[in-house]
Amino acid sequence: MRLTRRRFLGGAAAGVLGGAGVYELVDKLTAAPARRARPAGALPREQHVIDLGLVESEGVPVIVPPLHHEVVTATLKITDLKTAQAGLERALVELEDRYSLDAAGLGVTVAWGLPYFERHVPEQAKLRLPFDHRAGKPALLPARRFPSDPADTVLEQNDVAILLRSDSRAHIDDARKALFDDLPYLRMTSIRRGFAGGGFAGKQSLPKKMAMAAGVPGADLIPDNSELFLGFTSTQKAGLGPRLIANHETLGFVDVRGGYFRGGTHMHLSHIDEDLEAWYLNFDFDERVLTTFRPGLTSVKQGTQTVPQGPKDFATQAQTARAFERTGRFGHSASIQTTSRLLQDVVGPDGTVYPKGTAIPQRADFNTLDNPFAWSATPDRDKLKSTPSAGVHFVVFNPSSDDFARNRLAMDGVLPDGTKLDVGPRSRAQGFNSVLTTTHRQNFLVPPRAHRSFPLAEL
Amino acid sequence: MVAGVVALALTALVPGASARTSAQACPAAWKTGWQHLANTVKAPVYCPTWMPNPLDAQIRGDWQDIYSIGKDRSYLVSFLYHGEGASGDVHVNFRGYPGRTAVPRCKTVVLTGKKTLRGTTPCFADSAGVQKAPGIRATVYRVNQDADQWHVLLAWRHAGSLYTVSEHVIKPYTFRQVVTNLDRLLRSLVLVRPQG
Repeated sequence: MRLTRRRFLGGAAAGVLGGAGVYELVDKLTAAPARRARPAGALPREQHVIDLGLVESEGVPVIVPPLHHEVVTATLKITDLKTAQAGLERALVELEDRYSLDAAGLGVTVAWGLPYFERHVPEQAKLRLPFDHRAGKPALLPARRFPSDPADTVLEQNDVAILLRSDSRAHIDDARKALFDDLPYLRMTSIRRGFAGGGFAGKQSLPKKMAMAAGVPGADLIPDNSELFLGFTSTQKAGLGPRLIANHETLGFVDVRGGYFRGGTHMHLSHIDEDLEAWYLNFDFDERVLTTFRPGLTSVKQGTQTVPQGPKDFATQAQTARAFERTGRFGHSASIQTTSRLLQDVVGPDGTVYPKGTAIPQRADFNTLDNPFAWSATPDRDKLKSTPSAGVHFVVFNPSSDDFARNRLAMDGVLPDGTKLDVGPRSRAQGFNSVLTTTHRQNFLVPPRAHRSFPLAEL
Repeated sequence: MVAGVVALALTALVPGASARTSAQACPAAWKTGWQHLANTVKAPVYCPTWMPNPLDAQIRGDWQDIYSIGKDRSYLVSFLYHGEGASGDVHVNFRGYPGRTAVPRCKTVVLTGKKTLRGTTPCFADSAGVQKAPGIRATVYRVNQDADQWHVLLAWRHAGSLYTVSEHVIKPYTFRQVVTNLDRLLRSLVLVRPQG
């Protein structure tokens, strides 16, 4: 049964919901988008690849994200890894048999943290973990804080994170039960939930509806059909890396050392709190555009949400530095694109040509009302609160930790050649960045599907 | 203790959406100050007959904060309740720009490591609809500068002059409550004409 506006106004509805809390509203507030079924056939080698539909938003092709997202982090309960490997793999295969690998079914991505490799399979990891020779470092690095991060950003030490994506809340609940409740291998450390999308057909979007239902400060200020809380569409096709570009091996700077992790990738997971009132009451539309995209972008019609970010729209490092000299601003996208876009054409190992300007990161971020998580095993450390708060669980796939770090440093004005655009970390001149506060971070390695269950344990 | 009592009162007295105020006359206790202002700027000014709790609009009263008149006769009269601890603020600004109707421009300063970049920007921006009261058709602005930063602001024109009223979006009032307060404030305004 759908909720009427009268029934959810004022956040009252959130108080009578069950285990999934406010997120049960997702299914009540919006219908699952129509999707084409994934053609039958072998599952892709990559765990992080999931088939999603495309729509046009303001004339720009946009990927339609799954409505529901959940990340469950955990540590290991057991030491018999070989038994656990077989058991977890059986459970994952059963989920694949039950649900199609698409947004209508279920996407499961199992990612492993450095503590797992260092504590449980250290010898195998030394020999097999991918190495980023561009950085001169392993492809999987401990999480770090970045210049705009608060000093108390928690750098997490989880063994594993499992990303669950679906248009159906029930599919995700079923997967969590199958992988955590029904198996004795993993001890949950946190559950993080959220949502994305809706609104592409001109209807009120899910983030707007959810923020209003939860009564978070600034909810009224979110544009009605905005894909995310901050008002701009972020899943446009040209802004996300194509299918295999984030694989370790595709761009050639990560050595997969024997190939165990070929088809794998790197995943960064963070929670970012968003101050919606600060964003919408301090930055007018033009300033929101220039600080989200780039200074000098003056042709964007008032109210536009999908601003084209094609391969030819990206700014070079020199252009970004010059714009900063002129305006004192550098734009969130423009600065990141100095490292997140290809500077020249690249041919992948399978012959795919990736043209200059192609995006590398594959983002899978989603809005949340968690504060900062839906559940935590360490609520004091995580400063867990029951009051909803607007934020984003940022999930992104890059070839390596260093590649992610380059992007994130550029977001703070540290460009790839070391040029530092000199703006204070929390300065208003940071624009977009100044309303974001990162509470938690961790890096993970996503093995290929064949080795997703307790990787290296069999060696 | 006093702050605690005021905070409780704020919670209890947030006006409902149905609250409506019909403007009568500038309250006697407030009239002197507003009349003096009108006489000083030699133009009509708008006196509120209702204010969000706990404020009143008595110039030189307990809650008056800024009282500023420029050489060009533009004025800013501000009323502020500043709660102790985290109890919140209630902050309402009244402005008038006698003899001109254009949205003024405010100075901006962007500090970078090496230099200071100065510019200007509209003092009131991100218009978001209209609110009406008898004789007033006000534009709602959501992004405002200087003393109106982080406020929702209503601006309207009358007899060749621009007038504004704004309220800070901060606890104990939510954005929605501030919009409701401003609607009620707008309906409560009465003109005070200069004398003598």
